[in-house]
Amino acid sequence: MTPLSRLAGKPWIWSWIAAFVVWFATIMVTGGASTLGLSQAAFTFAAFSIIVGIGQMFVITLGPGNIDLSVPATMTLAGTVALKLMNGDNGMIVPGLLVAVLIGLAVGIGNYALIKALRIPPIIATLSMSFIVQSAAIWTNRGLRIKPPSFLADFTTSSTLGVPNVALVALAISLLAWVLLEKTVYGRWISAIGQSMAAARMAGIPVDGARFVTYLLCAVLASLAGYLLACFSGGAALNMGSEYLLMSIAVVVIGGTAVAGGDSNVPGIWGASLFMFLVVSMLNTYGIGAGVRLIMTGLIIISVIMLAGGRRTGMR
Amino acid sequence: MTIRKMLLASVAIACAAMPVSAIADTADKKIALSNNYAGNSWRQAMLTSWEKVTGEAVKAGVVAAADPFTTAENQATEQAAQIQNMILQGYDAIVLNAASPTALNGAVKEACDAGITVVSFDGIVTEPCAWRIAVDFKEMGRSQVEYLSGKLPDGGNLLEIRGLAGVFVDDEISAGIHAGVAEFPQFKIVGSVHGDWAQDVAQKAVAGILPSLPEIAGVVTQGGDGYGAAQAIAATDRAMPVIVMGNREDELKWWKEQKDANGYETMSVSIAPGVSTLAFWVAQQILDGKDVKKDLVVPFLRIDQDNLEDNLANTQAGGVANVEYSQEDAIKVIEAAM
Repeated sequence: MTPLSRLAGKPWIWSWIAAFVVWFATIMVTGGASTLGLSQAAFTFAAFSIIVGIGQMFVITLGPGNIDLSVPATMTLAGTVALKLMNGDNGMIVPGLLVAVLIGLAVGIGNYALIKALRIPPIIATLSMSFIVQSAAIWTNRGLRIKPPSFLADFTTSSTLGVPNVALVALAISLLAWVLLEKTVYGRWISAIGQSMAAARMAGIPVDGARFVTYLLCAVLASLAGYLLACFSGGAALNMGSEYLLMSIAVVVIGGTAVAGGDSNVPGIWGASLFMFLVVSMLNTYGIGAGVRLIMTGLIIISVIMLAGGRRTGMR
Repeated sequence: MTIRKMLLASVAIACAAMPVSAIADTADKKIALSNNYAGNSWRQAMLTSWEKVTGEAVKAGVVAAADPFTTAENQATEQAAQIQNMILQGYDAIVLNAASPTALNGAVKEACDAGITVVSFDGIVTEPCAWRIAVDFKEMGRSQVEYLSGKLPDGGNLLEIRGLAGVFVDDEISAGIHAGVAEFPQFKIVGSVHGDWAQDVAQKAVAGILPSLPEIAGVVTQGGDGYGAAQAIAATDRAMPVIVMGNREDELKWWKEQKDANGYETMSVSIAPGVSTLAFWVAQQILDGKDVKKDLVVPFLRIDQDNLEDNLANTQAGGVANVEYSQEDAIKVIEAAM
């Protein structure tokens, strides 16, 4: 195989091609003048989708029926509680982060307890959990919007060498996730579980332990994204996570991860997250009305998935 | 029998203890609030205002009860079931913020047939037997462009931030803004994004379209999105345009900071969440036998350069600028419609 055809066989390449085409179409409107601004905005906002998308990717890898719908509520609760605790004080940044992570751990434990102990399907279990978590968020802050500590607000909204800091955080998390997925035994385990849980069990893989850790990981990444997003947008809001429910699932699917589980990749999450932001920017830039815009977003997503998915059946 | 006697006695004592003027014919009436959503700061303020004002009204013996109920999922079917429960529970009036203008009509009709007064506000219902306290959303949009025409006589490019696509309120405010642009043709809308009335969504959408836009003189909004737009524009090296705000505390706070730093001028307009208390008093007036027109209009709460500080001081951190309405205010609104 030539390097080019090998690249074309990667499931994630289509999301990158789509992102690039949309990016190019958008900057052409202004004859290239918006290149830097648009690219920076894309990397900034894609970073949040990447962080939640990676968590969701691990869960979806576990196989059919595995999904975490509590992502938005976890983001909201982590963001509101952490900001309330920090109360704008730079000295409280680390405790705030710890609290956010603890909330993620608690939600993850709750999710898996419902799934395992009560034998509730993940889609129902995590949805019920999200009601509890969202109500907790409403109860703790009643719509209060507290400013983040100035250091965190500056950090999340500025760039290092032209690259937005939040994108650097997402990059670090992605590298860890890539190592975890491709180079560790845990990554092999969850792929094996996704391909056949029964076979994985017989092969002596600690199925329950691996699934438990995966749900924990997803919830912790969601809470981390909530913490960063709340600092980035100048305060937590009760509806701040709502966009990330479909987003977290969409970036996984568009990124070329198998919906049926067992086969995932990290680079696709990046391509898909950039694409999801850029496609809205492109249609906004062309001034297309909301109805047509939503239809086109849907059609574009379907075509990318068809391209990515259709390619793969032959490769397997 | 003894319980009944005790009840009667306590009512008698309560009546005796009350100043005569407070005893209305509605003292034994029960009012319920049927609310479809609680997940944002506006709705939270709406519920808080309701509890505060109706709590005092119940204590003063104006009505027997005023219980708020909120559905979990913001679904019309769920709210219809909730209204049916209220009919069974024997409420005399239902104050309603509806999930849909039409989907609840069946349940509302059932309530009317059961002799219950239904007063819808904010999210109104079209069923003719119900009262409607509606917001003139078109005028809210138009007044923004009118304000900008005074502020920027030479006109310029506008960025429009819309709400949630497909929602009636979004179409109405946007239609008003476009009518305003037709009236003041020195303005031109060069870009339009959907901010879903949320700061973070607006910030994201504005950051995405901004690189491809020419210079912007003004930003017209729908409320809840002004601070996000300001954040997105501040992240670039553009001059800050006049962003019309929507009475949220973070928006007002940002405006105040800019005003102190560089004399930034704008205005802010929205509906006070306390409109729930206006609906409460209207329901009370109807139960009291007053003749009330079926269609009433809510006054706007507008904040300008000179009353910014007062309004900011009265706005709870993270909340929305608010006024709570009194019985007199309701009577005024009712008489204005006559």
